[in-house]
Amino acid sequence: MAGSVEKEQQQNQVVGIIEEEKLQKQESKSSIKITRTQVESGEGEREMTPTAANSMHRSGSRPQLDVSKAEIQGNEEEKYPTILLPNQSDDLSHLALDIGGSLIKLVYFSRHENQSVDDKRKSVKERLGFSNGNRRSYPILGGRLHFVKFETRKINECLDFIHSKQLHCGGLESRYSDGVTDQNGIIKATGGGAYKYADLFKERLGVSLDKEDEMDCLVAGANFLLKAIRHEAFTHMEGQKEFVQIEPNDLFPYLLVNIGSGVSMIKVDGDGTFERISGTNVGGGTYWGLGRLLTKCKSFDELLELSQKGDNRSMDMLVGDIYGGLDYSKIGLSASTIASSFGKTISEKKELEEYRPEDISLSLLRMISYNIGQIAYLNALRFRLKRIFFGGFFIRGHAYTMDTISFAVHFWSNGEAQAMFLRHEGFLGALGAFMSYEKHGLDDLMVHQLVERFPMGAPYTGGKIHGPPLGNLNEKAKFSMQISWMEKFLRKGTEITAPVPMSPLGGTTGLGGFEVPLSKGSTLRSDASALSVGVLHLVPTLEVFPLLADPKLYEPNTIDLSDNNELEYWLTILSEHLSDLVDKAVASEGGTDDAKRRGDAFARAFSAHLARLMEEPSAYGKLGLANLLEMREECLREFHFVDAYRSIKQRENEASLAVLPDLLVELDSMDEESRLLTLIEGVLAANIFDWGSRACVDLYHKGTIIEIYRMSCNKMRRPWRVDDFDDFKERMLGAKNNKNTRHKRALLFVDNSGADIVLGMLPLARELLRRGTEVVLVANSLPALNDVTAMELPDIIAEAAKHCDILRHAAEVGGLLVDAMINTSNSSKENSSSVPLMVVENGCGSPCIDLRQVSSELAAAAKDADLLILEGMGRALHTNLDARFKCDALKLAMVKNQRLAEKLVKGNIYDCICKYEPVS
Amino acid sequence: MDLRDGQTQPILDPNQPTHVYHLALDIGGSLAKLVYFTKDDNHLVDGEEGISHRKTLQKSNGHKQYPVLNGRLNFKKFETSKINDCLEFIKSMKLHIGGSQPQENPGSQPIAVKATGGGAYKYADLFKERLGIILDKEDEMDCLVAGANFLLEVVHQEAFTYMGDQKQFVQIDKNDLYPYLLVNIGSGVGMIKVEGEGKFERVSGTSIGGGTFLGLGKLLTKCKSFDELLELSYRGNNREVDMLVGDIYGGMDYSKIGLSSSAIASSFGKAISDNREREDYKPEDIARSLLRMISNNIGQISHLNALRFGLKRIFFGGFFIRKHPFTMDTLSVAVNFWSKGEAKAMFLRHEGFLGAVGSFMSSDKHGLKELLANEVVQRSPSKLSFAVDKTLRSLPDGEFNGDESIECSVYAA
Repeated sequence: MAGSVEKEQQQNQVVGIIEEEKLQKQESKSSIKITRTQVESGEGEREMTPTAANSMHRSGSRPQLDVSKAEIQGNEEEKYPTILLPNQSDDLSHLALDIGGSLIKLVYFSRHENQSVDDKRKSVKERLGFSNGNRRSYPILGGRLHFVKFETRKINECLDFIHSKQLHCGGLESRYSDGVTDQNGIIKATGGGAYKYADLFKERLGVSLDKEDEMDCLVAGANFLLKAIRHEAFTHMEGQKEFVQIEPNDLFPYLLVNIGSGVSMIKVDGDGTFERISGTNVGGGTYWGLGRLLTKCKSFDELLELSQKGDNRSMDMLVGDIYGGLDYSKIGLSASTIASSFGKTISEKKELEEYRPEDISLSLLRMISYNIGQIAYLNALRFRLKRIFFGGFFIRGHAYTMDTISFAVHFWSNGEAQAMFLRHEGFLGALGAFMSYEKHGLDDLMVHQLVERFPMGAPYTGGKIHGPPLGNLNEKAKFSMQISWMEKFLRKGTEITAPVPMSPLGGTTGLGGFEVPLSKGSTLRSDASALSVGVLHLVPTLEVFPLLADPKLYEPNTIDLSDNNELEYWLTILSEHLSDLVDKAVASEGGTDDAKRRGDAFARAFSAHLARLMEEPSAYGKLGLANLLEMREECLREFHFVDAYRSIKQRENEASLAVLPDLLVELDSMDEESRLLTLIEGVLAANIFDWGSRACVDLYHKGTIIEIYRMSCNKMRRPWRVDDFDDFKERMLGAKNNKNTRHKRALLFVDNSGADIVLGMLPLARELLRRGTEVVLVANSLPALNDVTAMELPDIIAEAAKHCDILRHAAEVGGLLVDAMINTSNSSKENSSSVPLMVVENGCGSPCIDLRQVSSELAAAAKDADLLILEGMGRALHTNLDARFKCDALKLAMVKNQRLAEKLVKGNIYDCICKYEPVS
Repeated sequence: MDLRDGQTQPILDPNQPTHVYHLALDIGGSLAKLVYFTKDDNHLVDGEEGISHRKTLQKSNGHKQYPVLNGRLNFKKFETSKINDCLEFIKSMKLHIGGSQPQENPGSQPIAVKATGGGAYKYADLFKERLGIILDKEDEMDCLVAGANFLLEVVHQEAFTYMGDQKQFVQIDKNDLYPYLLVNIGSGVGMIKVEGEGKFERVSGTSIGGGTFLGLGKLLTKCKSFDELLELSYRGNNREVDMLVGDIYGGMDYSKIGLSSSAIASSFGKAISDNREREDYKPEDIARSLLRMISNNIGQISHLNALRFGLKRIFFGGFFIRKHPFTMDTLSVAVNFWSKGEAKAMFLRHEGFLGAVGSFMSSDKHGLKELLANEVVQRSPSKLSFAVDKTLRSLPDGEFNGDESIECSVYAA
């Protein structure tokens, strides 16, 4: 019986694999594989620009845009286990290890094969000064940093993982197929295990471990994280996590406390300048070691989890126990202060078995955390260090641990010193070891070049790896090797454990002792899944938008999601919208069984993300609405839904383009002043077409696009809820006697496909062109909802240009009509005096935009711009409503959400916002 | 003061009722400590006669007419969990009667006894009910400091260092005593910066103390008592349980930061092994590891606090130490290691009785005063002083276990 069941399962498995392979084949044709590469210049035609392989659309006829974004990739390393580093194949600078007493931490770099592609917007780039060799060269390759950990006692799992991903080899060419290896690779490693296991690595993987000093690595890792990652550090007091942004100039000196098996305390004065000033042997190993002896726990995480249900009062002797329930107020000790850890057990006649393991675990945890906090504070005091950063794998994002440490520091310093924690707490050493490769280039990375993603497949791609080593592949083995993470995810079925939070517990945790008010520890979880640390995408092409008035003060999100009501509202919205989205996504992939399966998996994964965030809003770092909306798009991409709204967008574009000529005729019949008003009205009215808005989706069922557009236009009555139109008009048309100079270049951040772009923004762009202003349409690099993308725009413009000379000339000059071959080089010359219409990608795939991280071509285009128009809810309301710029800015949007309308403008749904902020 | 050779044992023969004139208590979380004064059998000596034996005292007093009581300070401890034994003891010794015979004070208020420690609050009702004694609560820190100051100033060879099995008594110059850090290791640990008589501040402490040692020790081994656990630890080897630097570095030192391969990287860090359960570890090794962990930690935190206030001397007291060589050695090594030899750990012979002695000293000592007043000078002295003759040979080497006494004289100042 059992055997037959097994067989059946195997069969299913094989079917699954075959389907997966099909999927992979599709993928290899359709998915985006983009990485910027730095190619040595000086070879004539070769550009110093990001090159990209982008074939999002299966029809090859569409204009190809450069969407050089490493961060947008799904989880594909499983399919391409070998990482190519053509320029550094002898460096092997893609894996570094920190082998500690309890855990092995691994950081590895992955990059995809570089596929060169003709860039059809060469002329756009030239005009933007983008390809003339004046771009600074990128110090590093784009790619991703992955963070993985293993238990040291299960070092074989780690070796298998490295082997199966061929992380110890330089590239494809060195991958062996016959089990024979002649590599003499070198892997940077730190931690005591780098010495202890050197022979094992040599024997099993044929690589030498190049030992890096542990302290050097810790410090290098911490410095990198604190400088390069936004909101890496946070405080944790009384269950409240608060992210801290530290200015790189104001970082040093600080105390770094690394809590591994033991504890090291290092005074850091700068890059490479540090001193180990103290430490304690009472650390994570003590907790786990004593915990193992005292409880039946099988793992550190299990022990940590137990502590959440514990009450230390049954183990610890409190001040109140000694003083008969009274405080010892003279010296500031409350009755609940722990006088003696485990002291209560000495007067009781109970055996170990009679104590609750939960209580033991909590008491241990408090004892050790508090002790570390106290010793750390005393050392900080010695050297007058105000900031103490705690890292290391003991903490594991565990709320109670952090609260206890924070409390100790706060208590002993009278609030003068602050305990801070690091999101990548456990990976400092491994990251530092990675940095020790000569050509890593990470030092030169800036905050804005890093994007962190939280792929749901991470636990499946990261932690355990199954199947035999690649060395002796046979057909059967090949099958099991190629089980993708998604397959594993699907098989997991309903038990997607990673994001499921611990069940809320009774209120005893945190009572008693150290006067910590009841900690929220019970709602937080131990980080068994490693999900709190995402995959770090290194995108050297990203830049800070140069027109931001003050990048340091800039905060993209308008809505503060740290307000729990707000968070709940938006999570609910996303949750409710989910089934509709899944339908669209599945339909966009032809509604196949495979698509359905993936749609189902996506729904589960995204729901799990939402559930986790509801429990622990800062699980993924500082959370804003923009991140939330982007996460949805990323999650779709992770499950290989490249463009869920593809067909809807096409349909709406076609319908809108059909009525555009009539609209243009109508507009041309007006005088300048009423035309401008009509154009702005048109933008606001057309902005109603938004598949991100529930209310609007309902509307669509009531009429055709054009009917809705007309109706919406008719309702446009000034004054709008925010109405700076007169100021804008004055700037555009000039006061009566004072003709203003026209803007030189306008950047138009566009929103949705269909009427929004075709009937709203394009006519406005046309008007600006007519007035002699260069227009750059800024659109998404990747699909998000029904937003128009940079690579879709040239087609739309080409179609619109058929009916409009202004657009046609401008598009020709802007190099957008290359594909259409309308013009010969002669006609180009004729039009060289016209102003161009250009398209740039914004560098993101989200309905919102964080202007701290935009594509380099947008940054280049912004240089000469003196007018910004941000359109739509995502880019002008959810984000950037309060952003200040170095040039004139117009923010246009229709508020398609009642709550948002009330919150932002004390108005109602469908209210309009026309906010003009001239440069001061 | 006449300390006759060999007369160091407490004179506590129940069959031979002793005159007990004064009592003070320190009731901590684990132990109840008693200090009481007994008069020598030959009673009072005449003031002049008594003093004539002690030129040094005479000199320092500059007077000849002071009445002196010869007797001894007795020290006795009980486990707090067996508080009844303590009550019984007091009852049997009629300690509570003190110097005031009930019949001599008809209708007087209940007798008050000075007491400190948390138990002074917790067991106040019990003492009242069972013995008719009112516990007069003295602040714990006040008492600790007063006790330490008294012992360091008055008792000869009270302080000593201990390193590498070498015990060395330290002669403390009374004028050079302050400031110092007093670390009292009881169930928990209190750290007090002492700057003079009554001038002190609790600057730190840790909950990892004697209670932790015994508490965890009891859970991890089958030991029933502190002494049993200590005994075990003496035979243990912490390498079996602790993760040493060498374990991580494959037997090598981590010399760059000055850690030898035998340094403990992580206490109990080796116990994470999958293959061994608690039963597979020797209780001796566990006890040893536990002791090192706690001693080292206390030593380190003490050093950091001494450093903070520029204190060169750290005196360790409290019942955790119990003259246990390994404990003292670990504390000393920790202080020495972290201070790079600049600070010294010192220990007190009467380590466990600081609070009780302080409590004893804090009282008005009515019993003694009355005794002096009644039998010697016919008037009540305003202040009493204690003296231990410094010309005496040292007490038996470090074997003071608590239930003993030291001879001393009391004189009116």
